[in-house]
Amino acid sequence: MSAAELTPPEAALWADRAGLPLRADRHAAVAATANHIHSVVAVLRELDFGDTPPAAAYRAGEEKNDAAA
Amino acid sequence: MQPHELSLAAAADAIRARKLSPVELVDSVLDRIEKAEPHLKAYVTVTAEQARLAAREAEQEVAAGRLHGPLHGIPMGLKDLIDVADAATTASSRVRADHRAETDSTVAARLTAAGAVLVGKTHTHEFAYGLTTPQTNNAWDQDRVAGGSSGGSAVAVAAGTATFTLGTDTGGSIRVPSALNGVVGLKPTYGLVPRHGITSLSWSLDHVGPITRTVEDAALVLTALAGHDPRDPASLATSAADYRPGAGTDLTGLRVGVPRNYYFDHVDPEVEAAVRRAIAELETLGARLVEVEIPMTRFIQATQWGLMVPEATAYHERTLRAVPELYQADVRILLEAGELMPAGDYLRAQRSRTLMRQAWARLLEEVDVIAAPTVPAAAAKADQSTLTWPDGTVEGVSDAYVRLSAPANITGVPSLSVPVGHDTTGLPIGMQLLGRPLGEPTLLRAGHAYEQTQPARRLAAA
Repeated sequence: MSAAELTPPEAALWADRAGLPLRADRHAAVAATANHIHSVVAVLRELDFGDTPPAAAYRAGEEKNDAAA
Repeated sequence: MQPHELSLAAAADAIRARKLSPVELVDSVLDRIEKAEPHLKAYVTVTAEQARLAAREAEQEVAAGRLHGPLHGIPMGLKDLIDVADAATTASSRVRADHRAETDSTVAARLTAAGAVLVGKTHTHEFAYGLTTPQTNNAWDQDRVAGGSSGGSAVAVAAGTATFTLGTDTGGSIRVPSALNGVVGLKPTYGLVPRHGITSLSWSLDHVGPITRTVEDAALVLTALAGHDPRDPASLATSAADYRPGAGTDLTGLRVGVPRNYYFDHVDPEVEAAVRRAIAELETLGARLVEVEIPMTRFIQATQWGLMVPEATAYHERTLRAVPELYQADVRILLEAGELMPAGDYLRAQRSRTLMRQAWARLLEEVDVIAAPTVPAAAAKADQSTLTWPDGTVEGVSDAYVRLSAPANITGVPSLSVPVGHDTTGLPIGMQLLGRPLGEPTLLRAGHAYEQTQPARRLAAA
């Protein structure tokens, strides 16, 4: 387990902070799934985004730098 | 040939020529449902009585010379994420047991206006959050997965229990079950078909589109579906278009990109062989094959998950707190774990999507179409959770099914899945054609031309 991984009690605390109190029997499974998702998504930190804006809303076919507008 | 076996285009021709009445067609499909549905379980609800009523009305309109177009009197199924007024939209979930839609979704209203007849609501993987649709059996082998999340929709079309259906596609959910059941599935350009009135999985990745027996049929349904609706914030301001492809099969000048990376990695040899044969057929029709490099492949899964996971969790915020025990275990755990993703990860995924869209736009300047497998393997056994590749890599079945679909969801480019044969065990194989944003006419032209060179496909025996 890497230092960045959440333990079951930490996962419970994070969920609680997000407004989702979890029963004790959910802590281990939620921690394991959250850690797996994290391991997949963390790869994005390798990208140098520079000034790239997020594509939160966009029009397909309009390739402009202000695509997030 | 029984009416339920007809393609949409053939049925429409017969109805227009008054050789077939909508009542005969709808009755034939309902009879087929009665026989096949116990084995398939493609439908949440079959609306036989209303369908017969609507068919009689459609017949009267034909008699009065008021034909609405090619969908007039055609039996359809809608994935049960799509609102139909006064009916439940169950999302195949106990969470929605008491649901009732007040009004039609945009797509249901447009199809009804075009004369199509609803025969029922089809099963989805619960809330579209999965790739197998465990309630439903594959149309070709009941021990295999239907694929998902639009499993019921694809199985119904494959088995003749609907002439066409609609599915939704957030990470392959139209194309995956279409490929695994040997039917055509079109994920249109993001924003081309409005999603108003459709239960969301992930707003920035969701699409809705047709599942049909032929490419021409997909074009006929798309013609009725496409067009702006301001109630969907992603809806594009496009004008009405007729997507029906021409009869010609000449593809001279069409540049077909053949990926040298990603799309043929970790792909079953029989799937690869069938897709490469189909690509060679495109070349025989005049297309020029161009080897292409797929960009940013290391970041595809991360971007897909970084967008989908928090958006899905956000959609379910209230019900996850109120009735968590009503969700299936696989969906509940993903929704709960999604609460733990930091906003920074979501923003990185959004920024990665910007880069990926730009890179794909450059790629699609080099070629007109990219041809690739839809899914890396034919339908898995229902109890199978992983695939093992020759190099020893073990991959979850769902991860494998999303892998080749996700780029089109992330970038919004259209993707058409076309059947390209069966493997030695009789399971269908699909090829996807990807194009530029709003490049549907090109995809439909190429797919239709390919289909013309192949023998007519039969229905699954089911």
